[in-house]
Amino acid sequence: MKGKHHIIVETKKIKYEFDVKRNITVIRGDSATGKTTLIELLSQYARFSERTGIRVDSDVPCLVYADGLVSWQESLSATKDSIVFIDEDFDFIKTKEFASVIKGSSNYYVLITRDYLKNLPYSINEVYGIRNSGRFNYPQQIYNEFYPLYAKRYY
Amino acid sequence: MLKVYYGTLDEALYGPAWFLNNYEQSWFEDPFVQAMVVDVDKTEYKEGEVFESSVLGAIPPERLSGGVKTLISIYKNPDLIFDATSCGDNCAKWLLEIGKVADIKVTLRYAMRFPENDAFEISLENNKTIYTNRREYTLAALSVIDEEL
Repeated sequence: MKGKHHIIVETKKIKYEFDVKRNITVIRGDSATGKTTLIELLSQYARFSERTGIRVDSDVPCLVYADGLVSWQESLSATKDSIVFIDEDFDFIKTKEFASVIKGSSNYYVLITRDYLKNLPYSINEVYGIRNSGRFNYPQQIYNEFYPLYAKRYY
Repeated sequence: MLKVYYGTLDEALYGPAWFLNNYEQSWFEDPFVQAMVVDVDKTEYKEGEVFESSVLGAIPPERLSGGVKTLISIYKNPDLIFDATSCGDNCAKWLLEIGKVADIKVTLRYAMRFPENDAFEISLENNKTIYTNRREYTLAALSVIDEEL
């Protein structure tokens, strides 16, 4: 997979809109900014699609890694040309083996973690937080966007 | 006092999951808990097991943030060790506040930014040193993080 992918995840109450530009994107930042809610919405959509009342607009599948009957290695190896979201409680993302799997993968990965990922070659420009904005239909619908945590102006 | 160990300890509990299996409704009636929930989650406690989130509307305790679940677990169980990596920077001031009323020990796997506090006091467990100056603590913590994480 190459290039930038524009993603919208939307319900009646909440909307996320963001771009995924590289094969590794890291989401961290304050508590209660909506990281887990984003994962939950994508998980529900992956299982029940439009029947959930969730709208996901993306040119490639957005999947959420979850524990299952097969190992993470098998699960990720079987997934192609998708954006894979991995929530913070999976320690395997810190391993050299995960770095190796990512290297040969056609997927993009969005990792929700505050850990330092020394084995992964990710760009400091692709580390984001999530913030609310008053755009559009606030307060009826909360609009969430990604913002770079280590933007150049902070250096 | 707040004691921080940078790294992992086998006995450190994972707050978001531990909370789900152990919380007690009476905890939510504690004004200190309510203050943490309002500050971190922008959520008010209503009654029973009902909270009102400014974003999600009425929610059960299960939908509180991982950070505030961990803070509540630490505050109500100071004898246990929790991994506070689930807590973002906006939880740091509450760890210091809890440390003023109880001896607590947490692990961290990132450089949480502790704010200035009128009675800043953290024991850095990696080098067994107590810091009362935020700048000195931060420099020591970054040095430990560089070696350990």
